[in-house]
Amino acid sequence: MKQVEFLKLLQDLMQTEVELEEELKLEDLEEFDSLAILSLVSMYDKLGVNVRPGDIADAVTVLDLIKMGENKING
Amino acid sequence: MAKVSFNDVTISAIVTTIGNHKVDIEDEQNKYGFDDKTLNRLKKTIGFGSRYIVGDGICASDLCCQSAVTLFDNIDLKKDEIDGLIFVTQSPDYRAPSTAIIMQDRLGLSIDTVAYDINLGCSGFVYGLFNGFAFINCGFRKVLLLVGDVSNYFTKKDKTFTPLMGDAGSAVLIEKGGGNKSCFVLHSNGSGYKHLIIPAGGARMECSEETLKLVERDDGSLRRECDLYMNGAEVFNFAVKTVPGLIEELFESSNISKNEVDYFVLHQANYYILKNIASKLGVSENKVPMETAKVYGNQNSASIPGTINGYLSNEYSEKLLRSVFAGFGIGLSWAACYVTTDNIFAPVVRKFNNVL
Repeated sequence: MKQVEFLKLLQDLMQTEVELEEELKLEDLEEFDSLAILSLVSMYDKLGVNVRPGDIADAVTVLDLIKMGENKING
Repeated sequence: MAKVSFNDVTISAIVTTIGNHKVDIEDEQNKYGFDDKTLNRLKKTIGFGSRYIVGDGICASDLCCQSAVTLFDNIDLKKDEIDGLIFVTQSPDYRAPSTAIIMQDRLGLSIDTVAYDINLGCSGFVYGLFNGFAFINCGFRKVLLLVGDVSNYFTKKDKTFTPLMGDAGSAVLIEKGGGNKSCFVLHSNGSGYKHLIIPAGGARMECSEETLKLVERDDGSLRRECDLYMNGAEVFNFAVKTVPGLIEELFESSNISKNEVDYFVLHQANYYILKNIASKLGVSENKVPMETAKVYGNQNSASIPGTINGYLSNEYSEKLLRSVFAGFGIGLSWAACYVTTDNIFAPVVRKFNNVL
């Protein structure tokens, strides 16, 4: 998956209108809450990446979420 | 690894009684402090809708007894033939004795009945069936399996848990017959026990003034130590990553394929978990009911029979069906089984009427 597609997917999952960029701090994103974490667990699982909820909760920026997708997200 | 099969043991009746008070999530929006946007996300994603609950002072055993009486009134059955009474619950009438023993008397069963409780939650229906099938396999004539919980016992104000939960109690009759093979696969992993737990009230942390204090927790919920705590993200993670593999394992051990299954009736934790599991299993969504929690709430160990009586009453009453049942949750504990039923007594859910 291309990074731009991943960011669009993240935006849809969190149902946010904020444009997501690598440097964006997740704490500044109102929609990054426990519900978003569930959606992200499901998304990584579908990508075939084993990510634990605690890892997602500990992520600081959008870039951290991209990195968790390992080699499944590029370009 | 527990993989077990039984021959010529079957289920002949499933009856479910639900709470008599319907609560819509909109009614509780202010109580839990959900703003409109959060509420809409919860409805859309998790499937928050309505739930049916009982009033204060009503126990899971009361719901189960109503279900059992409905069963007795409609099935040609001599009570003396019931050799086993199993009650799966986490909301017993008392911490001791086993509520099942009290129900032996309430239901007018013989004092020769083997009766005890099983302390399991969302996986409990399959574990209860496993115990019942094993009883029949060793010569018991009939087993009455009762499963159910009332959510008021677990928590009253926790916004991460209370608005998800519904109250229900089911009665299931297990007996010899049918001529089919049934298979069970059962697992336990205590390393995850802290993800779903009532910390206080046992010997590890006795009830005290301290454990009864309502405290605002890190997740923003109001909870006492004697209330149930759920780490929703960890439980979700466990469910979506474990249950598809559990069912694959069941296919393998019972030598069946997904095309041979008429219904996958899974524990109705919430719509989102079921949608994820169904998608990973790659089975048609019309074979995997997933709306129960949206309408009735998460009925804990009664959610599988609750789904049959809630949505599939005609199907189970009028057809021979091959089903996969799977439960997963507190413990952590998870189990699945493959069973065949043939025109069983499975009436539509009834509300609790408080006459017993």
